[in-house]
Amino acid sequence: MRINSKLKAITAAAAIAFSSQAQAELNVFACEPEYASLTKELAPDADIYTATTAMQDPHQVQARPSLIAKMRQADLVVCAGADLEVGWLPMLLMKASNAKVRSTEQGLFYAAEHTMTLDQLDEVDRSMGDVHALGNPHMHFDPYRMVDVANALTAKLAQVDADNAAKYQAALADFKTRWKQAIPKWEAKAEPLKGKKLIAYHTNFRYLFNWLGIDQVADLEPKPGLAPTSSHLASLLKRAEQGDIMAVVIASYQSDRGAKWLGERAKLKVERLPMSIGGNEQSKDLFSLYDSVISQLLEVK
Amino acid sequence: MSLTTRVSLVALSCAFATAAQANTGTLSNPNISAVLDGYYQTGERPMAERTEGFGLGETELAISANIDDSFYGKVTAILESHDGETEINLEEAFIQTLALPGGLSVRGGRFLSDIGYLNNQHKHTDSFTDRPVVYRSFLGNHYFDDGIRLNYVAPTDLYWTMGVEAFAGDKMRAADEHGERDFKTVGVYTAYTKFGGDIGQESSWQLGLSYLRNENGVSYLEEHEEHEEHAAEEHGHDDHGHSHSAAYTGKNMFVADFTFKWAPDGNYKYQNLTLSGEYFRVTDIFAEGMHEEHEEEHEHEEHEEEHHEHEVDFDAYNTGWYLSGVYKFSPSWSAGVRYGQVDLHEAHEDHLDKLKLKETEVMVAYHPSHFSVIRLQYTKQDGVNHFGIEDDNIFTLQYNMTLGAHGAHQF
Repeated sequence: MRINSKLKAITAAAAIAFSSQAQAELNVFACEPEYASLTKELAPDADIYTATTAMQDPHQVQARPSLIAKMRQADLVVCAGADLEVGWLPMLLMKASNAKVRSTEQGLFYAAEHTMTLDQLDEVDRSMGDVHALGNPHMHFDPYRMVDVANALTAKLAQVDADNAAKYQAALADFKTRWKQAIPKWEAKAEPLKGKKLIAYHTNFRYLFNWLGIDQVADLEPKPGLAPTSSHLASLLKRAEQGDIMAVVIASYQSDRGAKWLGERAKLKVERLPMSIGGNEQSKDLFSLYDSVISQLLEVK
Repeated sequence: MSLTTRVSLVALSCAFATAAQANTGTLSNPNISAVLDGYYQTGERPMAERTEGFGLGETELAISANIDDSFYGKVTAILESHDGETEINLEEAFIQTLALPGGLSVRGGRFLSDIGYLNNQHKHTDSFTDRPVVYRSFLGNHYFDDGIRLNYVAPTDLYWTMGVEAFAGDKMRAADEHGERDFKTVGVYTAYTKFGGDIGQESSWQLGLSYLRNENGVSYLEEHEEHEEHAAEEHGHDDHGHSHSAAYTGKNMFVADFTFKWAPDGNYKYQNLTLSGEYFRVTDIFAEGMHEEHEEEHEHEEHEEEHHEHEVDFDAYNTGWYLSGVYKFSPSWSAGVRYGQVDLHEAHEDHLDKLKLKETEVMVAYHPSHFSVIRLQYTKQDGVNHFGIEDDNIFTLQYNMTLGAHGAHQF
């Protein structure tokens, strides 16, 4: 009976929480901060919840209760896709029992389905490490691909919230204007980086380097998803002795242990780049994230 | 029986082969996975599935996918090898609705009950080689059964879910050595609720309360002298007892559980800590023999008298709990401790014997990747001899690896 009265109290609390929720225009659940930021550009009035931070490895997120609760209330779920969230997102979708976001026909959006990913594999074998047949999912550092994603996301916003379709179209036009003005500036600024060689922890910045013409000659990880080993680091040291490496780059959520070890011995600078918005103080939206990453790379050049 | 077993094995392997060739396109395409588990152990833990020496744990084959826009389906087959015999067991074969409105979902078929914390988790995700002794005593390691579930998730920022289940409950039946009991065909009903949330960026928690009503769970005391034998056979350690049946049953089971997880910056890649605990209380475990039971309701006084005469405390209840802490201190290494105990009653002619079993466990695990673990576990067990404990110190060296699609794990 005590349980019963507790339940009543909680029901009342839930009812209050529910009524306050009902006022929000559109509830968006973004898997990563970059997609929260893109959604913010396209739907400035939406109530956007970001499931992970730039300090968290999006491969390894817990399908924790708070995320289920947020997904339960979502009208739209925006994620990178390409299996980046395969370890937790399916569990959230299952547990949240939210029919509105149950599939990509409804309010579920995978960015990777709307642009060409790099490094797609015909055959995937676990001996290759934690690789994805669907290609590299960290597309958000390619400004052209982000235009593809923005176009598709706007269509999805218009689908789930048809009443405001015109508003989303207008926001997209505005975003694309600013974005397309920024791209040549970034490219001009990054010109000195072209042809430079780097060692990075993982293929997080694959699209950035591909765009700017930077060559990632080696990974700190012996295989994708596996922590750096001493034997692998020793082989990287040998590689670094050729003297053509500009720096060792790690993402905001990655451990600097292996990078430091290599940096000290090979006399290379170790640079921690923000993986997403919030990965450093400067990165407050997609524009400042790009600014910050390019500036940091220019500093270590 | 063996024919159907063979047929289903073939069907399963066919499904496995064809689906594995298909190029998976999206996150929601069929997930096919196998779990391999093998071990060497220096002794035996009471009521546990692993035996002394070399052995295989549960070899699991699972296929899951969205069936269409409205249903999700999953099949999990478990291959177990005991005493040279290979058994195939269906642990899961269920469908779940995807399109019901209002946070509702229905699951039907065979599935893991959502009571407690560990029960709905697959054993290959456990941090220790065996389930805590309380699970082995009251739930037959873990409780899966044929039935139906209705679940509701509230649209609140504080995670709040609740559900009810009904099951056949065959494996939760009380012992019936003469086969004369008239068991109810729908034997088990459960109700559960869970709450959870985050504390800042780094910590998350979940609390659960569950109730299980077992219509067939009461053991009737009879004045047969065989009873003692039966108790030892059914409840004690038994080589033929690799069924998934609960060893100790009662009419009412109450469970409270908590889980707390922490990781620096909420980043689980390098370090994280998991603390969890559960408390079980099983009441109404014994009643007067079946024939007297009818009178009992009408003539309570008489029952009281008899009660005294038998010196049986019909208010006796069984309890069990555990606390565990696991710390992953690098991407490749984790260590954990767990303490668990059960306090049980067993009928012994005309009185009840008290039983107690305590387990203190320490484990270290090496994780070469996200998909493989090699674990060394030490268990110090302290129990009354009835459990057939021959060695108080047990070491287990175990591997547990998954191949195929990596399924998402629960909190």
